[in-house]
Amino acid sequence: MSGTDPAAEPAGRPDPDVETRRRWALNEDWLATAVGLILIVLVLAGVVTDGLVP
Amino acid sequence: MTETVRTSRFPAEIRSRGTWFALGVVVVLLLGWLTHYLNESVPDWAQDTSFDDIASAVEYPVYAILLGLAGNAVLTLTGLRDRLADGFRTEFFIKTGLVLLGASIDLKLIVDAAGRSIVQAVLLISLVFGFTWWLGGRLGLDDKLRALLASAVAICGVSAAIAAAGAVQARKEQLAYAASLVIAFALPSIFLLPWLADVLNLDDAVAGAWIGGNIDTTAAVTAAGTLAGEGPLAIASIVKVTQNALIGVVAVGLAAYFAYRVDRTPDAPRPGPGELWRRFPKFVIGFIAASVIATVYLGQVSSGEGKEHIAVVNDLRIWFLILAFVSIGLEFRVGALREAGWRPVAVFAAATVVNVLLALLLAVLLFSGFEIPAAR
Repeated sequence: MSGTDPAAEPAGRPDPDVETRRRWALNEDWLATAVGLILIVLVLAGVVTDGLVP
Repeated sequence: MTETVRTSRFPAEIRSRGTWFALGVVVVLLLGWLTHYLNESVPDWAQDTSFDDIASAVEYPVYAILLGLAGNAVLTLTGLRDRLADGFRTEFFIKTGLVLLGASIDLKLIVDAAGRSIVQAVLLISLVFGFTWWLGGRLGLDDKLRALLASAVAICGVSAAIAAAGAVQARKEQLAYAASLVIAFALPSIFLLPWLADVLNLDDAVAGAWIGGNIDTTAAVTAAGTLAGEGPLAIASIVKVTQNALIGVVAVGLAAYFAYRVDRTPDAPRPGPGELWRRFPKFVIGFIAASVIATVYLGQVSSGEGKEHIAVVNDLRIWFLILAFVSIGLEFRVGALREAGWRPVAVFAAATVVNVLLALLLAVLLFSGFEIPAAR
């Protein structure tokens, strides 16, 4: 194990980068849900057709 | 003066990050387009040659992952990889792809498979998490890294590692390390498991349940399921989505355990039921909603019109999956693995073997003889 070994370092305060990634992951969940469902509705409504998808 | 400098520097920094993010997305889109092009063209190029059979058998996940890894190597050599990394949004692409996949899965299949999937997920998560936590302790790993590795290998790879990292207040190096291990072990599994399922002559439902229960990261499950076929893909996705849905339970349990036992902060707020909802992966709702919408819609229109529209949704789904698989290749980091030494790798490898065997046993016990309706 080297000095940068993640297994060897002491516990600290919450890492702001990790918090940011976690929050972004939660927002990404909603974004993926919204984008996916909107695309499905647009396809089923005939707005997005075969010709528009490469 | 200082304030003036600060206020003028922040927008520039944000603009710069935005530009790199956009460039990262452009790289993913270009490699995605190249994947699509190769997937369409290689079988034509190989026609009437000795590569004909191989070219027809190779599917888009293979091109996407290989191009992602090649792009990763080029960007690493040119020093651009880390700057562009924000644009490699594997999780977003795969979750959108899974929501779109929901439209091609009959709601009845989700309902029929739900009971078995929940039993499999609860048993696998408990046993694999317990084994990884125990072995990590035996090999002297830091508790937070143990929690991340155990969550990643037992539940759903990077998403679970992110949820666990938030719950136990891990550091970003630990999260990057766990995510690298997930991808390093998932990449070979994408190709090995469909091949082994074929060698073992597993039926579609068992193969799908094995792939979904065993491979850690959702994108890799989808890639392996795609290589195995539409039936295994449907079951693998349902099993994996069920595991995803349990992230919240594990994250809340870890948050409480670390607050009261490991970090010993008695004044820490007790995680309530609201935490479960906050940590629940919302795309699971999108996946089920897509199946409901498509099932209701197909009941209202003619079979021809319905099939035509679902085919367009499936094309869009393939695009998002291609972008996710390209991003998997781009996100892989060898450096983080080198830094941490052999012990976490040994823990992860042993946990993966246990996961493979337990998932196979449970898939055979729970999914043998399970009927999958024809894909729509």
